[in-house]
Amino acid sequence: MKNRLKVQRAMHDLTQAGLAEKIGVTRQSINAIEKGKYVPSTVLALKIAKLFNESVENIFTLEDDD
Amino acid sequence: METNYLLPNKYKKLGWILFILGILGGVFIYVIGFDPTEYLKMNVLSFYHDPYIGEPTFFKIIENGVLDELISIFIILGGLLVGFTKEKIEDEFIYKLRKDSLVWALIVNYSILMITILFVFDLAFFHVLMFNMFTPLLFFVIRFTTLKSKYLRNEE
Repeated sequence: MKNRLKVQRAMHDLTQAGLAEKIGVTRQSINAIEKGKYVPSTVLALKIAKLFNESVENIFTLEDDD
Repeated sequence: METNYLLPNKYKKLGWILFILGILGGVFIYVIGFDPTEYLKMNVLSFYHDPYIGEPTFFKIIENGVLDELISIFIILGGLLVGFTKEKIEDEFIYKLRKDSLVWALIVNYSILMITILFVFDLAFFHVLMFNMFTPLLFFVIRFTTLKSKYLRNEE
């Protein structure tokens, strides 16, 4: 799964730590999601999308091998 | 995210203290070659006792040096507290790291144990068994701690 989390974060001028704090997760989570090492749960993906006022599909998209 | 089996974060520091004291104590008496059964002797309840001379007995008060028991309990209780207390911020990713570390530790531990079963014998294997009481927890704690710090690096 690809994600545009880093881009969204830059657009909203948020650090990994800042974003993590806003949605109540660890910085490790944000780091791992951005690196593509972790696929967040549906709940977490929805929370992130809600914070950026985007739909989930605008931030997370399926890849061919998913 | 629901997290089961985890104690509050406040017990983690106690866990580290017990774990590190236990390991240092264990390594110390192992390297020095103390007989731990000779220290801190006191009367203890033995569920099952099989002396070198005489018949086995059940539920009997015997005299025993409890230094090795203390060290073992420190390591096990400490390791459990370190591994199974909540982080300051506990979330789904940390929970996944914990579970992945457990799987990793069990596989590594039993792989090493299989090798030692095949190639280590007699009294030397007794030492392997002694270490193997603690290595699953030790490998788990090391792996979990390393993974947590790994994902803290490389921001931006």
